[in-house]
Amino acid sequence: MVDFELDAAQNAWLAEVRDFLQANVTLALRSELAEHGQEFPDGEVASWRRKIGERGWFGLNWPAEYGGLGLGAIYQHLLMREFEYWGVPGPDLTVTSVAPMIMRHGTEQNKLEFLPPIARGELICAVGYSEPDAGTDLASLRTRAVQDGDEWVITGSKIWNSVANRATHEWLCVRTDPSAARHRGISVIMVPTQLPGITIRPLYAWSGYRTNEVFFDDVRVPVGNLIGEVNRGWTYITGALDLERGALTNAGDLRHALDVLTELAGQPRRDGSTPLHMSSFRRRLAQAEADVEAAMLMGYQAASLLDSGVIPTVEVSVEKVFSSELRQRIADLAIDLLGPDGLLAYRSPGAPEDGKFERLYRVAPLMRFGGGTNEVLRDVIAQRGHGMPSYGR
Amino acid sequence: MKLLPDQDQRDLASMLSALFVAECPTNLVRELRDADPRSMPTRLWKSLADAGVFGLLVPQQYGGAGGTLSDLGVFCVEAGRGLCPTIVHGTVQAALAIQLLGGPDQQAAWLPSLADGKIRATTCLWSARDAAVTAPTLHARSEAWGGGWRLSGAADFVADADLADHLVVSAVAEGERLMAFVVPLATAGLWIEPMQLMGGHRAFRIAFDDVEVPDPAAALAGIDNAGPVDQDLRRVANAAVALLSLDLVGVGEAVLQRTVDYTMARKQFGRPIASFQAAQHLVANMHIALAAARLAAHSAVFWIGQGRTGTRETAIARMHAASAAKLITLDAHQLHGGMGYVVETDLHLFSERARVLATLGGGADVAATWLEEA
Repeated sequence: MVDFELDAAQNAWLAEVRDFLQANVTLALRSELAEHGQEFPDGEVASWRRKIGERGWFGLNWPAEYGGLGLGAIYQHLLMREFEYWGVPGPDLTVTSVAPMIMRHGTEQNKLEFLPPIARGELICAVGYSEPDAGTDLASLRTRAVQDGDEWVITGSKIWNSVANRATHEWLCVRTDPSAARHRGISVIMVPTQLPGITIRPLYAWSGYRTNEVFFDDVRVPVGNLIGEVNRGWTYITGALDLERGALTNAGDLRHALDVLTELAGQPRRDGSTPLHMSSFRRRLAQAEADVEAAMLMGYQAASLLDSGVIPTVEVSVEKVFSSELRQRIADLAIDLLGPDGLLAYRSPGAPEDGKFERLYRVAPLMRFGGGTNEVLRDVIAQRGHGMPSYGR
Repeated sequence: MKLLPDQDQRDLASMLSALFVAECPTNLVRELRDADPRSMPTRLWKSLADAGVFGLLVPQQYGGAGGTLSDLGVFCVEAGRGLCPTIVHGTVQAALAIQLLGGPDQQAAWLPSLADGKIRATTCLWSARDAAVTAPTLHARSEAWGGGWRLSGAADFVADADLADHLVVSAVAEGERLMAFVVPLATAGLWIEPMQLMGGHRAFRIAFDDVEVPDPAAALAGIDNAGPVDQDLRRVANAAVALLSLDLVGVGEAVLQRTVDYTMARKQFGRPIASFQAAQHLVANMHIALAAARLAAHSAVFWIGQGRTGTRETAIARMHAASAAKLITLDAHQLHGGMGYVVETDLHLFSERARVLATLGGGADVAATWLEEA
């Protein structure tokens, strides 16, 4: 039957993850994250990543033959949710969306070369999809790879290329057959970021988040770095995007934000009034509570489907749209509820919760368009979920 | 943890779905809606009884299947999809109430005939305005002789009192103790006055004028014979609200399917209106709201079935289900245009059920207050 209860092994796992966080999320780690994000190559964040790698938690739901622990998607989901709740970096897209595609579609050489260092946390990918003229319409991408002997020669540029500045590799989507129909001439190549011909230009977002524009000028990569088969890349990246949406939206950060906000709502503000005494705020908090619970259940459902061998395309689209819009509503509620104090800037003196919600208001827009815009995902729900016709997208 | 139905539940759902298609066509729903006085849909009732619906949750020793509350949840989704008359829900709720509020003697007296559909019932155990209010509006005093009781007071918005044989009702006994009774509706001193609700749904005001309840099995004594307590009544109310939330999910599923079908068939500007992004986004929003409601309502039913009172889960289920059912039915009207507005296409039957079931016991605003106590 439909079973909403964690079993004994899953509860033990949750306890193990929480113990790990309790023991290893230090003040030093938190302050480095607050001050510098994940920018330092060999600071607290790097040693935190090593600890996760030592436990095998980067590959926890991979098969043992690829260096994984062979645990189910529910386990991965629980871990990600707890990490999100604590606000610390855990398994990233390299682990949750790139690696599964290598396992599913990669050549034997791809698997041997890339999976073990991903499991150890040593190989970090930037996901190179969007280009200045190919965003939501990704299949119109123009970055080209031309074969020259035993190398691919890559020319073009990628944008919104987050983590490129600290990644070891680009999971790069390129056009390998310009004469084929647009979805059919695309391949994926693993490109080490240290190669000559790569230039990285930072772009700073509203939230303070750094992303990048990356230029490839005759970058030469061994042919063996092409993932799977040539010109089959579209299948791989759409599969990876489905997994990415699921991984990006586990609601752990929403649960934490709402716990903090509910606590704040019960405390008197500067003028002595208490938001929780106002029925309008109680109603909105209750709605947020009901919505966060639904987002959590959507995460469990997606993980259940993954465990049953299905890539839950429609379900993760639902989860992504729902939770990204909920994040914006919670940020908005927080500033309404805190009043002018809610405007006190992130990490400024006197800001409630160090300005967490002021920042969240600026963070939340990202997830409404990142990982597939919510408009396109609504199309996906209607078309893939209900067979409504494509209108030529 | 596995949020996927198993094969047994999928089989149960498809069997019930086929049953409603065959035995509960919309012309039957319309007949029941318009008739005055109403009569029982006897063929449908017999089919449901033969399919074991009334005994899904009843222990095997009393002639039931000994299933879980989640099995009953599977039924409720199909009931919503199939516009099942609510006397069926009332009878199922009454059996559930007797299971949770009655001792072994009362269970033995009532459950077998409820489980096989021999008697029909309804309940009056929570406020129609707010299902968290389980304080009885009736008073019971014990007879000086014979162990019987006399009931006084009034209740309103009692569903289907015209079709039910029995009513499960709570009362304050001797000014202090909580009690529940199974009372035949054809009893001297019991006055029933109809209230015409939206969509032909029938509720009733019932006045108890010193109604005699002589049957010793009529007084529900609690599982341990110490009488039911507030928490027991709340669990019954929560179970009913959670199950009816699944009915609303079923209504939403049926309407979403109808709406998609209509937009695929309807052509304007030389193409199906389903190909317009504006239409697809309304459908996507319906789908998202329904996904939230379905998960929340199944979760509430699961946890109440596991023994929790489940107030938090029920509140969340009701908030999502009530909102989703209204959103879906009203946006369905928008996507159908005139073809959904004329009554011959049946869409209003679903919209009215959504509005009625999303109101009785409290809608999203009322349910939001339950979260504060949970």
